[in-house]
Amino acid sequence: MRLSGLQKEVLALYRQCLRECRKKPAASRKNFQVFARNEFEKNIKIDKRDFGAIEFLLRKGRRQLDLYSLPGVKDIK
Amino acid sequence: MAALRSSASVLLGAAASRPALRAAAAAPAAVRGMAQLADGAQHSTTASGEQPKLKTFQVYRWNPDTPTEKPRMQSYTLDLNKTGPMVLDALIRIKNELDPTLTFRRSCREGICGSCAMNINGTNTLACLCRIPTESSADIKIYPLPHTYVVKDLVPDLTHFYKQYKSIKPYLQRDTPSPDGKEYRQSKADRKKLDGLYECILCACCSTSCPSYWWNSEEYLGPAILLQSYRWLADSRDEKTAERRDALNNSMSLYRCHTILNCTRTCPKGLNPGLAIAQIKKEMAF
Amino acid sequence: MMASIARSSLLRQVALVPKLPIATRLASQQSAIVNAARVATFHTTARRDLLPPLPQRVEGTVNDAAPVPETSPSHGSYHWTFDRLVAASLIPLTVAPFAAGSLNPTLDALLCATILIHSHTGFQNIIIDYVPKYRTPRARKLFVWGLNAATVVVGLALYEFETTDVGVTETIKRIWTA
Repeated sequence: MRLSGLQKEVLALYRQCLRECRKKPAASRKNFQVFARNEFEKNIKIDKRDFGAIEFLLRKGRRQLDLYSLPGVKDIK
Repeated sequence: MAALRSSASVLLGAAASRPALRAAAAAPAAVRGMAQLADGAQHSTTASGEQPKLKTFQVYRWNPDTPTEKPRMQSYTLDLNKTGPMVLDALIRIKNELDPTLTFRRSCREGICGSCAMNINGTNTLACLCRIPTESSADIKIYPLPHTYVVKDLVPDLTHFYKQYKSIKPYLQRDTPSPDGKEYRQSKADRKKLDGLYECILCACCSTSCPSYWWNSEEYLGPAILLQSYRWLADSRDEKTAERRDALNNSMSLYRCHTILNCTRTCPKGLNPGLAIAQIKKEMAF
Repeated sequence: MMASIARSSLLRQVALVPKLPIATRLASQQSAIVNAARVATFHTTARRDLLPPLPQRVEGTVNDAAPVPETSPSHGSYHWTFDRLVAASLIPLTVAPFAAGSLNPTLDALLCATILIHSHTGFQNIIIDYVPKYRTPRARKLFVWGLNAATVVVGLALYEFETTDVGVTETIKRIWTA
């Protein structure tokens, strides 16, 4: 299946999230992965042509990633 | 400034007309309590059979938590007898009594913080300095500042605006110490040059009303930032005037101003960014 | 006016509804109609997305200053000053033929040249405004060179006209009184 640029960006963001999870302490790594997956699944039903919404969520996602990838964040519920 | 003064006099006048509050007016610290008291007093007067003055406010709503929904206008009807004179009073009342999810920025409610800048009936202004028009019964339409990314409802994202402000180095740049080791002095005439410039509160009303800024906000600095730029160019104590000019000397930063003068027209503080930009251009001309 | 616009965008919205099972299609059609009516209230003129706004992008962190462009007076202050001087010199040049009755060929040529430069810089400003370099670098190049070519062609034509024919002011005078 060929992916659009926007879909690639979403997947890239998810991959980046998983990569950041690996830098977290082993005990809480699972929590981070579950959290990231949940965040993406929350909006999985969005129409793929609703560009405005997807772009907004990407922006929001990147901001969240910046925040949670800080070394001070040790665990997540 | 005129608008500021008139709003202040209205507040005072209103306080004086209610005898129970005259004592409270003497203590400025009690202003918040006074407002609540005043509300109570008004409630009792309207209950005794005054004609309700209804006014409808149409407010732009968009919620980032449901990004698939399109923005919409929501109507709220208020009785003006129970509301303060300014649009911000109405918005606060809507948030308190009708819809707590309505989101907007506000802080000082007297036109000095610039938080409540929004587009009211097609004009960018501060909600706290904008009277609710009582002569006509037409609806009031309230939008966020035009051509901005909206965070939620009436809250615009001013990140780029502030980044541009930072890029003009809005602080005193000086290498030589003052001769007597105390503060940097300037003559009365030099100080007078800063009048009409230092009062700017960076509410972004002018920048977001400028068509040039709408098309080229990435590179054009916009009236508010250029006014601030001129504030530092005109300062007799600043020693980096040449560098400041060089930073503006390209086709985008300054010269996208085509003297449309929407900025001067809309400024809620009565300043003249158009004149300041013209001064910069004149100083840089030869 | 408003009603017709609402209808057209409404039709467009309905046309956009994809091929779905009938039940869901009806539901989504209805929601599309409601949405279109809502959206229509935001537009006073028809939508034409020539350069739709890009999604917001913040360069660096929020605390970094916006980049300051390089100093280039030839695109900045010199350009602006030159612009104003040309515009100001057009005033006496336009008034002169009225005062003198007609123009000698030198002044006539000067008037032509000034008008040419004036319109060239004017169009340049329009291109800089509406064809942003950071979004459409190719179109920008195309427009700039197109303008240069047009100016050269018009310049040559005016030169021909001035040297082999009666000149601009004389032509206007003849057409006026014809």
